[in-house]
Amino acid sequence: MPASNSAVTGSGHTSRFSLSPLTSWLRLSTSDGAENGLKRAHFDDWKLPVFLLIPQLFVLLLFFFIPSFRALIQSVQLTDPFGATVQWVGFSNFVRLFNSGPYWSSVNVTIWFTLAQNALTLGIALIFAFATNHVLRGTSAYRTVILLPYAIAPAVAGIMWAFLFNPRVGPIAQMIQALGIGWDPNRSGNQAIALVVMAASWKHICYNYIFLVAALMAVPKSILESAAIDGAGPIRRFYLISLPMIAPTLFFLVVINFVYALFETFAIVDATTRGGPAGATSILVYKVYQDGFVTLDLGSSAAQSVVLMTLALGLTLAQFRFIERRVNYSV
Amino acid sequence: MLEKTPVLDLICHLILLLGAALVCLPLYFVFVTGTLSQEEVLVVPMSRLPSNQFFVNLATILEKASFGRQLLNSFVVALGVTVGKLSISIIAAFAVTYFRFPFRKTAFWLIFVSLMLPIEVRIVPTYESAANVALPLNVLSTWFDLSGLFSRIAGRDVEVGLDWNMVNTYPGLILPLIASATATFLFRQFFLTVPDELLEAALIDGARPMQFFRLILLPLSRSNIIALGIILFLAGWNQYLWPLLMTTDLQMSTAVVGLKKLLPPPDGLPSWHLLMNAALITMLPPALVILVLQRWFVKGLIDSGK
Amino acid sequence: MKRFFRIGLVLTATALMPASAQSQTKIEFWHAMSGALGERVEELVKKFNASQDKYVVNPVAKGNYDEVLNGMIAAYRAKRQPEIVQVNERGFLTMIYSGAVLTAADLMAQNGYKTDWTNFIAPVVSYYSKDGKVQAMPFNSSTPILFYNRDHFKAAGFEKPGETWQELEAQMDAIKSKGASKCIMALPGDYEWSFLENYSAVNDLSYATKRNGIDGLDTSFVFNKHLVGQIERMKRLIDKGVMEIAGQGINPVQLFAGGTCSTIIASTASHAAVQAGAKFDWSAVELPYEKGVTPKNSVIGGGALWALKGHSDEQYKAVAAFFNYLASVDTQVWWHKATGYVPVTKAAYETAKAEGYYKTNPTREIAVIQLMRGTPSDNSLGFRMGNSNQINVGIMEEMQAAMLGKKPVQKALDDAVARGNDILRRYEQLHAGKQ
Repeated sequence: MPASNSAVTGSGHTSRFSLSPLTSWLRLSTSDGAENGLKRAHFDDWKLPVFLLIPQLFVLLLFFFIPSFRALIQSVQLTDPFGATVQWVGFSNFVRLFNSGPYWSSVNVTIWFTLAQNALTLGIALIFAFATNHVLRGTSAYRTVILLPYAIAPAVAGIMWAFLFNPRVGPIAQMIQALGIGWDPNRSGNQAIALVVMAASWKHICYNYIFLVAALMAVPKSILESAAIDGAGPIRRFYLISLPMIAPTLFFLVVINFVYALFETFAIVDATTRGGPAGATSILVYKVYQDGFVTLDLGSSAAQSVVLMTLALGLTLAQFRFIERRVNYSV
Repeated sequence: MLEKTPVLDLICHLILLLGAALVCLPLYFVFVTGTLSQEEVLVVPMSRLPSNQFFVNLATILEKASFGRQLLNSFVVALGVTVGKLSISIIAAFAVTYFRFPFRKTAFWLIFVSLMLPIEVRIVPTYESAANVALPLNVLSTWFDLSGLFSRIAGRDVEVGLDWNMVNTYPGLILPLIASATATFLFRQFFLTVPDELLEAALIDGARPMQFFRLILLPLSRSNIIALGIILFLAGWNQYLWPLLMTTDLQMSTAVVGLKKLLPPPDGLPSWHLLMNAALITMLPPALVILVLQRWFVKGLIDSGK
Repeated sequence: MKRFFRIGLVLTATALMPASAQSQTKIEFWHAMSGALGERVEELVKKFNASQDKYVVNPVAKGNYDEVLNGMIAAYRAKRQPEIVQVNERGFLTMIYSGAVLTAADLMAQNGYKTDWTNFIAPVVSYYSKDGKVQAMPFNSSTPILFYNRDHFKAAGFEKPGETWQELEAQMDAIKSKGASKCIMALPGDYEWSFLENYSAVNDLSYATKRNGIDGLDTSFVFNKHLVGQIERMKRLIDKGVMEIAGQGINPVQLFAGGTCSTIIASTASHAAVQAGAKFDWSAVELPYEKGVTPKNSVIGGGALWALKGHSDEQYKAVAAFFNYLASVDTQVWWHKATGYVPVTKAAYETAKAEGYYKTNPTREIAVIQLMRGTPSDNSLGFRMGNSNQINVGIMEEMQAAMLGKKPVQKALDDAVARGNDILRRYEQLHAGKQ
């Protein structure tokens, strides 16, 4: 039978490409004897794969590589918003950025925001996961309900929470005020951050929850049973055995939560506080948008983009470096 | 469980009920507000019990706020992102795992790098790229002075300019969102776990690459495709920042962005009832997807985390 | 098996298609008017379209002034800009240095219209002129005035608001203590314009050097020397519970028109909303000033219309025709009555007066009187700063911090000045050498 594509099978043929230091550090090779992501059984041909890759690479070129490159370029330029006047100004955008009070205050807000959101989301999700894992009846019903916020767009969640907590008309705000607490996120920066953190966490708990439930289910029953025989109650079993065993998942979720809080919460801020009052909820990603699209300080926005890009790169590398090996989950 | 713990069981059930309430209570308030009329909305404190204006409000937003059109746009975008991303990703993943060719690893790294930068960190230049997609070609054209070249050939002044503006268009909404390689990477991980024996057997039968892909790999990937498709659909439906920038025309906005326009305007009465009604409708399709396809959805989430 | 390619390389061949041969020339007019004012714009444009059959103007509401400006810039960069765009008054410098606009005076002259620019009222002409030529078509000019709820004031025993801030504050305290209302003043959303800039103009205080930027790009903010008392007053009013910040989702003018707050300092263009919504006895007076000061004129707000480059001669004929229509007496009188914006031409003002319009609607004249009061000093000619959007965001943030007690007032003012000057210097650097 003629095979128009010569293919290579068998383990005699190994890849000639040497592992670059970066690849080995990332440990991206996986199971099945595949080297560097190439299947042991594969085709030797270049025309077809190039053809198959063109759509992906082309879209990436247009909407990823070129914009990222232009962000780098714009960060060292001073631009008139109309594009008529452009000056090369070296690193002065960055210098100005790092010298600007509002930027550091934004960094500060972002740090607090991500930490608070992480703690709240992970903590509550863990409690729910433990409870789900423990009870016998109704697990799927609980799971379904707790999962629902995933369907809700962050922007919609933001609008909902802004309404619920609106000092004038919001039902929950009125309950708070009935307790005697003066609630007005338009006046108090701390309350504004609290509002955004609550909305962001509410929306993200389900994501953490799903992973934690699966991870807890994967803890080997045998270990738990022997611990029970030794007299450990369910709660002791949880924090002595289950928690350490799901540590990789916890770590993974911490990183995911950071990424979520840093980048995907733009919508929540825009729908609720718009960075206010007085910049109290102006997280980094919101400031990039504000400077780029509202106040039209393009050089500063580009410089901020570059800083965020570096941060994003670091986080993703950390994610792959530490979370590479995964326990097999049963779903 | 391993022993009888009635107290702990009760506490756990209470916790879970609390969790369910945490989710349902806000939704309930939203629903109630969505059923009020304009006058009822202005009453302080607002009613905690639903009224009867749900469909009236729905009709209002569909007519006056172009909400119906926006729902359609959301659907088109979500579907477009799903289908687009799935299709280009699966073939790219196939290319990168099943073929040995020069620069294979380079191609893989190029794709991998795009995982690292979410769109939020490069919004301004991505917007500019979409606003004038042919910009790089224009730059090239300037470098090589194509205008001058063609002018000399034609004997007259010719200006070579390419202009392709995607603002307020469906491609503009969809294409930049498929420019990230999450799906490619996931398919690649999956393909790597497919037993080599399958390809070996197919080769013995004289299969060509695309036949192998179509007849063996695709069916094998079915559950992954569905799971990932669900996640992508939800993500596409819930997009906010990108549609916000890409559409200045209310007729082309998506529902999520359109909601923002329904926020009480500076010049009128606060129409919370309309806003909450719209919010509820916007939540429905994704919620339905999750409810009906829950098993696949959860699988997709877990897989994408690996 | 070939998968479909989502990216078909279908390129449009030419950048700008010429206006197709149609019987009517169509042009786009992007504006920032919403709600009641937006409806008036639609009516106005409809009337123009109906008055002739050569040109059709298509009005597009693009959001607020910032959104219109940004949208227009984005469109301009993508070569999709409209013919006419409404920009707020403080965007003047940004527009003329953009390289994207045609001078209104030139446009009218080239299209054969003998527009009498001296007919426009002095504050408007001086604001929008450069090198002796009017650069943009004045359209909706306003100025802030003080609206008040007569019922509340009467209940506390006052006939009308005092003329000075000191009197007014005493009155507001009295109204609150007598329980006539719970919110005495709503803080307007554009308080930077009314409470800071116009306050400086009326009380003859310098906001920035070089006559507030009119004399050159090397202007610097100096308001941190003069505005301490004013910001402290605002903070005091908020802390006392006399003044309310509206916040997200609530419209300050609505707070007044709904009867919640007794006063608001708002644009005279709020007449439309107030008249429509207020179910109580209301009126208006001029802005309060500091005791012991002879008040100067206030400065205009609102916007003007700009013609953008990059269109055909036919389309510019349409633009000129539309501009000419806007400047006509009848249109101006109608627009003034329908919206509350001041009549920008002397002829329109005189006509309204002659009709006796101000006898029946005295509050409508307050803005004009206030604008033309006395002779302008160096501090009340207007404001001319580049990147005003950016500057405003920074100033408002600092002022918010001061009013909410997060920063001492003087420090907030100093920081605001520093941020503003930083932006001014960069604007100067970018446009160095331009006149």
